[in-house]
Amino acid sequence: MTRQELDAAFARLGLKVPEAERDGILGAVKYIEEMAALVKKPRAVGAEPAHTVAFPEK
Amino acid sequence: MVPDFLTIAEAAKLIEKREMSPVELTQSRLDRIAKLDGKLHSFIRVLADDALASARAAENEIAAGRYKGPLHGIPLGLKDIYETKGIPTTGHSKVMQDHVPTADAVSVTKLRDAGSVIMGKLATHEFAFGGPSFDLPWPPARNPWDTARFTSGSSSGTGAAVPAGLVLGGTGSDTGGSIRGPAALCGIAGLKPTYGLISRRGILPLAFSLDHAGPMAWTAEDCAIMLQATAGHDPADPASANHPIPDYRAALTGDLKGLRIGLIRHFYTTDNEVNAATRDAIDAAAKKYEEMGASVREITVSPLAEWAAPGIMIMMAEAYAIHEANLRTRFTDFGEIFRDRMALAGLWTAADYVHATRCRRELIDELDRAMQDLDLVMTASAVSEAPKFEDVSKFAILERPSLTMPFNVTGSPAMSVCCGFTETGLPLSFQIVGKRFHDATVLRAADAYERATPWRSRRPSL
Repeated sequence: MTRQELDAAFARLGLKVPEAERDGILGAVKYIEEMAALVKKPRAVGAEPAHTVAFPEK
Repeated sequence: MVPDFLTIAEAAKLIEKREMSPVELTQSRLDRIAKLDGKLHSFIRVLADDALASARAAENEIAAGRYKGPLHGIPLGLKDIYETKGIPTTGHSKVMQDHVPTADAVSVTKLRDAGSVIMGKLATHEFAFGGPSFDLPWPPARNPWDTARFTSGSSSGTGAAVPAGLVLGGTGSDTGGSIRGPAALCGIAGLKPTYGLISRRGILPLAFSLDHAGPMAWTAEDCAIMLQATAGHDPADPASANHPIPDYRAALTGDLKGLRIGLIRHFYTTDNEVNAATRDAIDAAAKKYEEMGASVREITVSPLAEWAAPGIMIMMAEAYAIHEANLRTRFTDFGEIFRDRMALAGLWTAADYVHATRCRRELIDELDRAMQDLDLVMTASAVSEAPKFEDVSKFAILERPSLTMPFNVTGSPAMSVCCGFTETGLPLSFQIVGKRFHDATVLRAADAYERATPWRSRRPSL
Protein backbone atom coordinates (compact mmCIF):
# COMPACT_ATOMS: atom_id res chain seq x y z
CA MET A 1 0.00 0.00 0.00
CA THR A 2 1.31 3.45 -0.85
CA ARG A 3 0.93 6.56 1.25
CA GLN A 4 -1.57 7.91 -1.27
CA GLU A 5 -3.65 4.75 -1.02
CA LEU A 6 -3.56 4.98 2.78
CA ASP A 7 -4.70 8.61 2.69
CA ALA A 8 -7.53 7.65 0.33
CA ALA A 9 -8.58 4.78 2.60
CA PHE A 10 -8.74 7.04 5.63
CA ALA A 11 -10.75 9.60 3.67
CA ARG A 12 -13.22 6.85 2.67
CA LEU A 13 -13.45 5.67 6.30
CA GLY A 14 -13.97 9.23 7.52
CA LEU A 15 -11.00 9.05 9.90
CA LYS A 16 -9.13 12.27 10.59
CA VAL A 17 -5.77 10.64 11.32
CA PRO A 18 -3.14 13.24 12.30
CA GLU A 19 -0.47 13.73 9.65
CA ALA A 20 2.28 12.90 12.15
CA GLU A 21 0.86 9.41 12.74
CA ARG A 22 0.28 8.35 9.13
CA ASP A 23 3.80 7.17 8.25
CA GLY A 24 3.92 5.02 11.38
CA ILE A 25 0.62 3.42 10.47
CA LEU A 26 1.82 2.88 6.91
CA GLY A 27 4.84 1.03 8.30
CA ALA A 28 2.49 -1.40 10.08
CA VAL A 29 0.22 -2.06 7.08
CA LYS A 30 2.42 -5.01 6.14
CA TYR A 31 1.32 -6.84 9.29
CA ILE A 32 -2.37 -6.62 8.51
CA GLU A 33 -1.76 -7.58 4.89
CA GLU A 34 0.16 -10.66 6.04
CA MET A 35 -2.69 -11.65 8.36
CA ALA A 36 -5.30 -11.21 5.64
CA ALA A 37 -3.23 -13.45 3.37
CA LEU A 38 -2.89 -16.10 6.10
CA VAL A 39 -6.64 -16.55 6.57
CA LYS A 40 -7.37 -16.86 2.82
CA LYS A 41 -6.78 -20.57 2.38
CA PRO A 42 -8.34 -22.74 -0.30
CA ARG A 43 -11.65 -23.94 1.15
CA ALA A 44 -14.72 -25.79 0.07
CA VAL A 45 -17.43 -23.39 -0.99
CA GLY A 46 -19.56 -24.49 1.94
CA ALA A 47 -16.88 -24.04 4.62
CA GLU A 48 -18.79 -22.36 7.43
CA PRO A 49 -17.62 -19.45 9.55
CA ALA A 50 -17.60 -19.74 13.33
CA HIS A 51 -20.37 -17.52 14.53
CA THR A 52 -19.57 -18.69 18.01
CA VAL A 53 -17.67 -21.59 19.52
CA ALA A 54 -19.47 -24.92 19.51
CA PHE A 55 -20.74 -26.02 22.89
CA PRO A 56 -20.81 -29.71 23.77
CA GLU A 57 -24.15 -31.22 24.65
CA LYS A 58 -24.99 -31.41 28.33
CA MET B 1 -2.28 -6.52 62.85
CA VAL B 2 -3.37 -7.65 59.38
CA PRO B 3 -0.53 -9.18 57.31
CA ASP B 4 0.53 -7.26 54.19
CA PHE B 5 -0.17 -10.28 52.02
CA LEU B 6 -3.03 -12.74 52.26
CA THR B 7 -4.72 -14.97 49.74
CA ILE B 8 -8.50 -14.98 49.50
CA ALA B 9 -8.55 -18.50 50.98
CA GLU B 10 -6.36 -17.49 53.92
CA ALA B 11 -8.35 -14.35 54.67
CA ALA B 12 -11.65 -16.21 54.34
CA LYS B 13 -10.56 -18.76 56.92
CA LEU B 14 -9.67 -16.00 59.40
CA ILE B 15 -12.90 -14.11 58.73
CA GLU B 16 -15.07 -17.20 59.07
CA LYS B 17 -13.45 -18.02 62.42
CA ARG B 18 -13.87 -14.35 63.41
CA GLU B 19 -10.13 -14.03 63.94
CA MET B 20 -10.03 -11.11 61.52
CA SER B 21 -12.64 -8.49 60.85
CA PRO B 22 -13.61 -7.49 57.29
CA VAL B 23 -13.35 -3.88 58.45
CA GLU B 24 -9.77 -4.36 59.66
CA LEU B 25 -8.86 -6.14 56.44
CA THR B 26 -10.46 -3.48 54.26
CA GLN B 27 -8.84 -0.63 56.20
CA SER B 28 -5.46 -2.34 55.90
CA ARG B 29 -5.88 -2.51 52.10
CA LEU B 30 -6.94 1.15 51.97
CA ASP B 31 -3.80 2.02 53.95
CA ARG B 32 -1.66 0.04 51.49
CA ILE B 33 -3.34 1.74 48.54
CA ALA B 34 -2.65 5.16 50.09
CA LYS B 35 0.96 4.19 50.73
CA LEU B 36 1.82 2.41 47.48
CA ASP B 37 -0.54 3.23 44.65
CA GLY B 38 1.18 6.53 43.93
CA LYS B 39 3.96 4.35 42.50
CA LEU B 40 1.78 1.73 40.84
CA HIS B 41 -1.20 3.65 39.44
CA SER B 42 -3.24 0.48 39.60
CA PHE B 43 -6.44 2.31 40.64
CA ILE B 44 -8.39 4.80 38.58
CA ARG B 45 -10.86 5.33 41.41
CA VAL B 46 -10.69 4.17 45.03
CA LEU B 47 -14.09 3.69 46.66
CA ALA B 48 -13.00 4.01 50.29
CA ASP B 49 -16.35 4.96 51.83
CA ASP B 50 -18.30 2.34 49.87
CA ALA B 51 -15.71 -0.30 50.71
CA LEU B 52 -15.80 0.42 54.43
CA ALA B 53 -19.61 0.42 54.39
CA SER B 54 -19.60 -3.00 52.66
CA ALA B 55 -17.02 -4.28 55.12
CA ARG B 56 -19.12 -3.14 58.09
CA ALA B 57 -22.19 -4.79 56.57
CA ALA B 58 -20.21 -8.01 56.11
CA GLU B 59 -18.99 -7.85 59.69
CA ASN B 60 -22.54 -7.45 60.99
CA GLU B 61 -23.85 -10.30 58.83
CA ILE B 62 -21.10 -12.65 59.98
CA ALA B 63 -21.64 -11.64 63.61
CA ALA B 64 -25.32 -12.46 63.14
CA GLY B 65 -24.43 -15.95 61.89
CA ARG B 66 -25.06 -15.23 58.21
CA TYR B 67 -21.65 -16.10 56.77
CA LYS B 68 -22.01 -16.29 52.98
CA GLY B 69 -18.82 -18.07 51.98
CA PRO B 70 -15.21 -17.45 51.03
CA LEU B 71 -15.73 -14.04 49.41
CA HIS B 72 -17.59 -12.59 52.38
CA GLY B 73 -15.69 -9.52 53.52
CA ILE B 74 -12.91 -9.97 50.93
CA PRO B 75 -11.53 -6.81 49.24
CA LEU B 76 -11.57 -7.05 45.44
CA GLY B 77 -10.95 -4.62 42.59
CA LEU B 78 -12.79 -4.23 39.29
CA LYS B 79 -11.18 -3.55 35.94
CA ASP B 80 -12.71 -0.27 34.82
CA ILE B 81 -14.67 -1.83 32.00
CA TYR B 82 -16.97 -3.57 34.50
CA GLU B 83 -20.00 -1.32 34.89
CA THR B 84 -20.86 -0.14 38.40
CA LYS B 85 -24.14 1.50 39.28
CA GLY B 86 -23.71 5.20 40.01
CA ILE B 87 -19.91 4.96 39.74
CA PRO B 88 -18.07 6.08 36.58
CA THR B 89 -16.91 3.27 34.29
CA THR B 90 -14.50 4.78 31.83
CA GLY B 91 -12.61 2.11 29.93
CA HIS B 92 -9.61 4.25 31.00
CA SER B 93 -10.56 6.59 28.15
CA LYS B 94 -11.34 10.26 27.71
CA VAL B 95 -14.10 9.11 25.36
CA MET B 96 -16.11 7.62 28.25
CA GLN B 97 -14.71 9.45 31.26
CA ASP B 98 -18.16 10.77 32.20
CA HIS B 99 -20.02 7.47 31.70
CA VAL B 100 -21.98 6.62 34.85
CA PRO B 101 -23.86 3.31 34.48
CA THR B 102 -27.32 2.79 35.90
CA ALA B 103 -26.68 -0.84 36.83
CA ASP B 104 -23.86 -3.14 37.91
CA ALA B 105 -22.47 -5.69 35.48
CA VAL B 106 -23.92 -9.14 36.16
CA SER B 107 -20.61 -10.43 37.51
CA VAL B 108 -20.28 -7.39 39.80
CA THR B 109 -23.74 -8.11 41.21
CA LYS B 110 -22.69 -11.71 41.79
CA LEU B 111 -19.48 -10.65 43.56
CA ARG B 112 -21.46 -8.24 45.76
CA ASP B 113 -24.06 -10.95 46.49
CA ALA B 114 -21.22 -13.21 47.62
CA GLY B 115 -20.33 -10.54 50.18
CA SER B 116 -17.14 -9.20 48.64
CA VAL B 117 -15.96 -5.66 49.28
CA ILE B 118 -15.45 -3.62 46.11
CA MET B 119 -12.39 -1.44 46.69
CA GLY B 120 -12.51 0.54 43.46
CA LYS B 121 -12.00 0.64 39.73
CA LEU B 122 -8.71 -0.56 38.32
CA ALA B 123 -6.63 0.67 35.40
CA THR B 124 -6.96 -0.98 32.01
CA HIS B 125 -5.51 -0.42 28.61
CA GLU B 126 -7.87 1.91 26.78
CA PHE B 127 -11.09 -0.03 26.10
CA ALA B 128 -9.17 -3.22 26.94
CA PHE B 129 -7.00 -2.83 23.86
CA GLY B 130 -4.54 0.05 23.42
CA GLY B 131 -1.59 0.34 25.76
CA PRO B 132 0.53 1.16 27.60
CA SER B 133 -0.56 4.75 26.98
CA PHE B 134 0.77 7.93 28.56
CA ASP B 135 -1.72 10.25 26.81
CA LEU B 136 -4.92 9.19 28.62
CA PRO B 137 -6.67 10.88 31.58
CA TRP B 138 -4.94 8.40 33.93
CA PRO B 139 -1.38 7.01 33.75
CA PRO B 140 -0.74 3.33 32.95
CA ALA B 141 -0.36 0.86 35.81
CA ARG B 142 3.20 -0.13 36.67
CA ASN B 143 4.62 -3.53 37.42
CA PRO B 144 5.11 -3.98 41.19
CA TRP B 145 8.18 -6.19 40.65
CA ASP B 146 9.91 -3.24 38.95
CA THR B 147 7.94 -0.06 38.42
CA ALA B 148 9.99 0.86 35.34
CA ARG B 149 8.44 -2.18 33.65
CA PHE B 150 5.25 -2.97 31.80
CA THR B 151 2.41 -4.91 33.43
CA SER B 152 1.16 -6.17 30.08
CA GLY B 153 -2.52 -5.70 29.49
CA SER B 154 -5.15 -5.03 29.13
CA SER B 155 -6.12 -5.93 32.72
CA SER B 156 -3.11 -3.93 33.85
CA GLY B 157 -4.47 -2.50 37.11
CA THR B 158 -5.57 -5.91 38.37
CA GLY B 159 -2.18 -7.31 37.38
CA ALA B 160 -0.44 -4.65 39.47
CA ALA B 161 -2.81 -4.48 42.47
CA VAL B 162 -2.97 -8.19 43.30
CA PRO B 163 0.74 -9.02 43.80
CA ALA B 164 1.20 -5.72 45.66
CA GLY B 165 -1.45 -6.78 48.16
CA LEU B 166 -3.72 -3.79 47.45
CA VAL B 167 -6.59 -6.17 46.79
CA LEU B 168 -6.86 -9.92 47.30
CA GLY B 169 -8.27 -10.52 43.85
CA GLY B 170 -9.79 -8.70 40.94
CA THR B 171 -11.63 -8.98 37.71
CA GLY B 172 -10.09 -9.05 34.28
CA SER B 173 -11.27 -9.55 30.76
CA ASP B 174 -9.49 -11.44 28.01
CA THR B 175 -10.09 -11.00 24.29
CA GLY B 176 -6.63 -12.00 23.09
CA GLY B 177 -4.68 -12.45 26.31
CA SER B 178 -5.73 -9.57 28.55
CA ILE B 179 -6.00 -11.70 31.70
CA ARG B 180 -3.12 -14.07 30.98
CA GLY B 181 -0.68 -11.39 29.80
CA PRO B 182 -0.70 -9.30 32.98
CA ALA B 183 -0.94 -12.44 35.11
CA ALA B 184 2.25 -13.66 33.40
CA LEU B 185 4.25 -10.45 33.71
CA CYS B 186 3.04 -9.65 37.24
CA GLY B 187 3.48 -13.18 38.61
CA ILE B 188 -0.10 -14.01 39.55
CA ALA B 189 -2.74 -16.55 38.55
CA GLY B 190 -5.15 -15.47 35.83
CA LEU B 191 -7.89 -17.62 34.36
CA LYS B 192 -9.65 -16.99 31.08
CA PRO B 193 -12.61 -19.31 31.58
CA THR B 194 -14.46 -21.11 28.81
CA TYR B 195 -16.24 -18.68 26.48
CA GLY B 196 -19.74 -18.07 27.76
CA LEU B 197 -19.12 -19.31 31.30
CA ILE B 198 -19.25 -15.83 32.90
CA SER B 199 -21.80 -13.32 31.68
CA ARG B 200 -20.39 -10.43 29.64
CA ARG B 201 -23.43 -8.29 30.31
CA GLY B 202 -22.43 -4.91 31.70
CA ILE B 203 -18.80 -5.24 30.67
CA LEU B 204 -17.67 -2.76 28.00
CA PRO B 205 -17.04 -4.94 24.94
CA LEU B 206 -13.85 -5.12 22.92
CA ALA B 207 -14.88 -7.90 20.53
CA PHE B 208 -18.16 -9.70 21.16
CA SER B 209 -17.16 -13.12 19.88
CA LEU B 210 -13.83 -13.24 21.71
CA ASP B 211 -14.51 -11.43 25.02
CA HIS B 212 -14.13 -13.52 28.16
CA ALA B 213 -14.55 -12.23 31.72
CA GLY B 214 -12.44 -13.91 34.37
CA PRO B 215 -10.67 -13.83 37.73
CA MET B 216 -7.14 -12.75 38.59
CA ALA B 217 -5.67 -13.53 42.01
CA TRP B 218 -2.53 -14.72 43.75
CA THR B 219 -3.37 -18.41 43.46
CA ALA B 220 -5.37 -20.83 41.36
CA GLU B 221 -7.44 -21.63 44.45
CA ASP B 222 -8.43 -17.97 44.73
CA CYS B 223 -9.34 -17.95 41.03
CA ALA B 224 -11.54 -21.00 41.68
CA ILE B 225 -13.30 -19.14 44.50
CA MET B 226 -13.97 -16.12 42.27
CA LEU B 227 -15.04 -18.29 39.33
CA GLN B 228 -17.53 -20.10 41.57
CA ALA B 229 -19.17 -16.81 42.45
CA THR B 230 -19.32 -15.42 38.91
CA ALA B 231 -19.95 -18.38 36.59
CA GLY B 232 -23.44 -19.27 35.47
CA HIS B 233 -26.02 -18.86 32.76
CA ASP B 234 -27.34 -15.39 31.97
CA PRO B 235 -30.27 -15.56 29.54
CA ALA B 236 -29.77 -11.89 28.66
CA ASP B 237 -26.22 -12.47 27.38
CA PRO B 238 -26.59 -14.08 23.92
CA ALA B 239 -23.26 -15.87 24.30
CA SER B 240 -23.90 -17.17 27.81
CA ALA B 241 -23.67 -20.94 28.08
CA ASN B 242 -26.36 -22.90 29.88
CA HIS B 243 -24.05 -25.48 31.34
CA PRO B 244 -23.77 -27.09 34.79
CA ILE B 245 -21.39 -25.35 37.17
CA PRO B 246 -19.25 -27.78 39.18
CA ASP B 247 -17.64 -27.13 42.56
CA TYR B 248 -14.35 -25.67 41.32
CA ARG B 249 -12.64 -25.56 44.69
CA ALA B 250 -13.54 -29.16 45.45
CA ALA B 251 -11.78 -30.13 42.22
CA LEU B 252 -8.43 -28.96 43.62
CA THR B 253 -7.41 -32.37 44.87
CA GLY B 254 -3.70 -32.12 44.12
CA ASP B 255 -3.95 -35.47 42.36
CA LEU B 256 -2.54 -35.37 38.84
CA LYS B 257 -2.00 -39.09 38.35
CA GLY B 258 -3.04 -40.12 34.87
CA LEU B 259 -3.53 -36.57 33.64
CA ARG B 260 -2.47 -36.30 29.98
CA ILE B 261 -0.78 -33.06 28.96
CA GLY B 262 0.24 -32.11 25.43
CA LEU B 263 3.13 -29.65 25.26
CA ILE B 264 2.93 -27.29 22.27
CA ARG B 265 6.62 -26.48 22.32
CA HIS B 266 6.91 -25.18 18.76
CA PHE B 267 4.71 -22.19 19.68
CA TYR B 268 7.47 -20.85 21.93
CA THR B 269 10.66 -22.33 20.51
CA THR B 270 10.23 -21.60 16.80
CA ASP B 271 6.91 -19.82 15.99
CA ASN B 272 7.42 -17.03 18.55
CA GLU B 273 10.69 -17.76 20.26
CA VAL B 274 10.71 -16.91 23.95
CA ASN B 275 13.86 -15.98 25.84
CA ALA B 276 16.01 -18.66 27.46
CA ALA B 277 14.80 -18.02 31.00
CA THR B 278 11.16 -18.47 29.96
CA ARG B 279 11.88 -21.56 27.86
CA ASP B 280 13.84 -23.21 30.66
CA ALA B 281 11.16 -22.39 33.24
CA ILE B 282 8.40 -23.92 31.07
CA ASP B 283 10.46 -27.02 30.39
CA ALA B 284 11.09 -27.36 34.13
CA ALA B 285 7.35 -26.99 34.82
CA ALA B 286 6.59 -29.75 32.31
CA LYS B 287 9.11 -31.97 34.11
CA LYS B 288 7.50 -31.13 37.44
CA TYR B 289 4.13 -32.26 36.08
CA GLU B 290 5.69 -35.59 35.12
CA GLU B 291 7.15 -35.97 38.61
CA MET B 292 3.65 -35.36 39.97
CA GLY B 293 2.18 -38.24 37.99
CA ALA B 294 0.96 -36.58 34.81
CA SER B 295 2.16 -37.67 31.39
CA VAL B 296 3.57 -34.93 29.17
CA ARG B 297 4.17 -35.41 25.46
CA GLU B 298 5.06 -32.89 22.82
CA ILE B 299 2.42 -32.25 20.18
CA THR B 300 2.45 -30.31 16.92
CA VAL B 301 -0.41 -28.16 15.63
CA SER B 302 -0.59 -25.48 12.94
CA PRO B 303 1.99 -22.71 13.27
CA LEU B 304 1.17 -20.04 15.86
CA ALA B 305 0.74 -17.28 13.26
CA GLU B 306 -2.16 -19.23 11.73
CA TRP B 307 -3.97 -19.17 15.10
CA ALA B 308 -3.10 -15.58 15.97
CA ALA B 309 -4.02 -13.97 12.63
CA PRO B 310 -7.75 -14.77 12.59
CA GLY B 311 -8.01 -13.88 16.26
CA ILE B 312 -6.37 -10.48 15.80
CA MET B 313 -8.49 -9.79 12.71
CA ILE B 314 -11.77 -10.73 14.39
CA MET B 315 -10.85 -8.77 17.53
CA MET B 316 -9.85 -5.60 15.70
CA ALA B 317 -12.70 -5.72 13.21
CA GLU B 318 -15.33 -6.14 15.93
CA ALA B 319 -13.67 -3.40 18.03
CA TYR B 320 -13.67 -1.08 15.00
CA ALA B 321 -17.39 -1.61 14.53
CA ILE B 322 -18.05 -0.85 18.20
CA HIS B 323 -16.00 2.38 18.18
CA GLU B 324 -16.58 3.45 14.56
CA ALA B 325 -18.86 6.40 15.31
CA ASN B 326 -16.48 7.92 17.84
CA LEU B 327 -13.46 7.18 15.65
CA ARG B 328 -15.08 9.26 12.91
CA THR B 329 -16.00 12.20 15.12
CA ARG B 330 -13.55 12.15 18.05
CA PHE B 331 -10.47 10.42 16.64
CA THR B 332 -7.94 12.32 18.75
CA ASP B 333 -9.95 11.89 21.96
CA PHE B 334 -8.69 8.29 21.90
CA GLY B 335 -5.10 7.61 22.91
CA GLU B 336 -2.61 7.33 20.07
CA ILE B 337 -2.01 3.60 20.48
CA PHE B 338 -5.72 2.73 20.44
CA ARG B 339 -6.65 5.02 17.57
CA ASP B 340 -3.73 4.08 15.32
CA ARG B 341 -4.36 0.37 15.79
CA MET B 342 -8.03 0.98 15.04
CA ALA B 343 -7.11 2.94 11.91
CA LEU B 344 -5.30 -0.16 10.68
CA ALA B 345 -8.35 -2.31 11.45
CA GLY B 346 -10.41 -0.14 9.13
CA LEU B 347 -8.27 -1.31 6.22
CA TRP B 348 -9.49 -4.90 6.34
CA THR B 349 -12.46 -5.75 4.15
CA ALA B 350 -15.71 -7.48 5.09
CA ALA B 351 -14.48 -10.54 3.16
CA ASP B 352 -11.26 -10.57 5.23
CA TYR B 353 -13.39 -10.78 8.38
CA VAL B 354 -15.45 -13.66 7.01
CA HIS B 355 -12.30 -15.54 5.98
CA ALA B 356 -11.01 -15.07 9.53
CA THR B 357 -14.20 -16.55 11.00
CA ARG B 358 -14.04 -19.52 8.60
CA CYS B 359 -10.47 -20.03 9.69
CA ARG B 360 -11.67 -19.88 13.30
CA ARG B 361 -14.07 -22.77 12.72
CA GLU B 362 -11.22 -24.89 11.30
CA LEU B 363 -8.95 -24.07 14.25
CA ILE B 364 -11.62 -24.97 16.82
CA ASP B 365 -11.92 -28.36 15.10
CA GLU B 366 -8.14 -28.72 14.97
CA LEU B 367 -7.68 -28.17 18.70
CA ASP B 368 -10.57 -30.53 19.48
CA ARG B 369 -8.86 -33.22 17.40
CA ALA B 370 -5.45 -32.54 18.95
CA MET B 371 -6.95 -32.86 22.45
CA GLN B 372 -8.96 -36.01 21.78
CA ASP B 373 -6.58 -38.11 23.86
CA LEU B 374 -5.36 -35.29 26.10
CA ASP B 375 -6.77 -33.53 29.15
CA LEU B 376 -4.72 -30.34 28.87
CA VAL B 377 -2.25 -28.60 26.65
CA MET B 378 0.59 -26.48 27.90
CA THR B 379 2.63 -23.73 26.25
CA ALA B 380 4.07 -20.28 26.96
CA SER B 381 1.91 -17.35 28.00
CA ALA B 382 4.51 -14.60 27.43
CA VAL B 383 7.72 -14.32 25.43
CA SER B 384 9.81 -13.06 28.34
CA GLU B 385 9.72 -11.40 31.73
CA ALA B 386 8.22 -7.88 31.85
CA PRO B 387 9.94 -5.47 29.43
CA LYS B 388 10.67 -1.84 30.22
CA PHE B 389 7.94 0.56 29.07
CA GLU B 390 10.17 2.13 26.43
CA ASP B 391 10.71 -1.27 24.82
CA VAL B 392 7.00 -1.84 24.08
CA SER B 393 6.13 -0.71 20.57
CA LYS B 394 2.83 0.77 19.40
CA PHE B 395 2.10 -2.17 17.11
CA ALA B 396 3.56 -4.90 19.34
CA ILE B 397 0.42 -7.04 19.07
CA LEU B 398 0.88 -7.22 15.30
CA GLU B 399 4.61 -7.74 15.11
CA ARG B 400 4.81 -11.22 16.68
CA PRO B 401 2.07 -13.86 16.84
CA SER B 402 0.28 -13.88 20.17
CA LEU B 403 0.82 -16.92 22.41
CA THR B 404 -2.52 -16.39 24.13
CA MET B 405 -4.87 -15.58 21.23
CA PRO B 406 -5.20 -19.19 19.99
CA PHE B 407 -7.34 -20.05 23.00
CA ASN B 408 -9.62 -17.05 22.57
CA VAL B 409 -10.18 -18.28 19.03
CA THR B 410 -11.17 -21.71 20.38
CA GLY B 411 -13.00 -20.48 23.49
CA SER B 412 -10.96 -22.84 25.66
CA PRO B 413 -10.28 -22.28 29.36
CA ALA B 414 -6.69 -21.09 29.68
CA MET B 415 -4.64 -19.96 32.62
CA SER B 416 -1.31 -18.28 33.21
CA VAL B 417 0.67 -19.78 36.08
CA CYS B 418 3.83 -18.35 37.65
CA CYS B 419 6.73 -20.81 37.25
CA GLY B 420 9.74 -18.99 38.63
CA PHE B 421 11.72 -15.79 38.52
CA THR B 422 14.61 -14.39 36.54
CA GLU B 423 17.94 -13.71 38.25
CA THR B 424 16.74 -10.11 38.62
CA GLY B 425 13.54 -11.20 40.37
CA LEU B 426 10.98 -10.83 37.60
CA PRO B 427 8.21 -13.45 37.27
CA LEU B 428 8.13 -16.14 34.58
CA SER B 429 5.07 -18.10 33.53
CA PHE B 430 3.47 -20.86 31.50
CA GLN B 431 -0.01 -21.34 30.11
CA ILE B 432 -2.23 -24.36 30.75
CA VAL B 433 -5.29 -24.95 28.56
CA GLY B 434 -8.27 -27.29 28.89
CA LYS B 435 -11.18 -28.51 26.86
CA ARG B 436 -14.22 -26.24 26.82
CA PHE B 437 -16.08 -26.38 30.16
CA HIS B 438 -13.22 -28.33 31.74
CA ASP B 439 -12.14 -25.25 33.67
CA ALA B 440 -11.92 -27.35 36.83
CA THR B 441 -9.17 -29.49 35.28
CA VAL B 442 -7.16 -26.38 34.40
CA LEU B 443 -7.55 -25.08 37.95
CA ARG B 444 -6.61 -28.48 39.41
CA ALA B 445 -3.39 -28.64 37.41
CA ALA B 446 -2.47 -25.03 38.21
CA ASP B 447 -3.24 -25.43 41.92
CA ALA B 448 -1.26 -28.67 42.21
CA TYR B 449 1.74 -27.04 40.52
CA GLU B 450 1.59 -24.01 42.80
CA ARG B 451 1.50 -26.22 45.90
CA ALA B 452 4.45 -28.33 44.68
CA THR B 453 6.71 -25.35 43.93
CA PRO B 454 8.00 -22.43 46.03
CA TRP B 455 6.93 -19.57 43.76
CA ARG B 456 3.82 -18.49 45.72
CA SER B 457 5.93 -17.61 48.74
CA ARG B 458 7.63 -14.63 47.08
CA ARG B 459 6.03 -11.16 46.81
CA PRO B 460 7.33 -7.89 45.37
CA SER B 461 9.11 -5.54 47.77
CA LEU B 462 7.73 -2.06 47.32
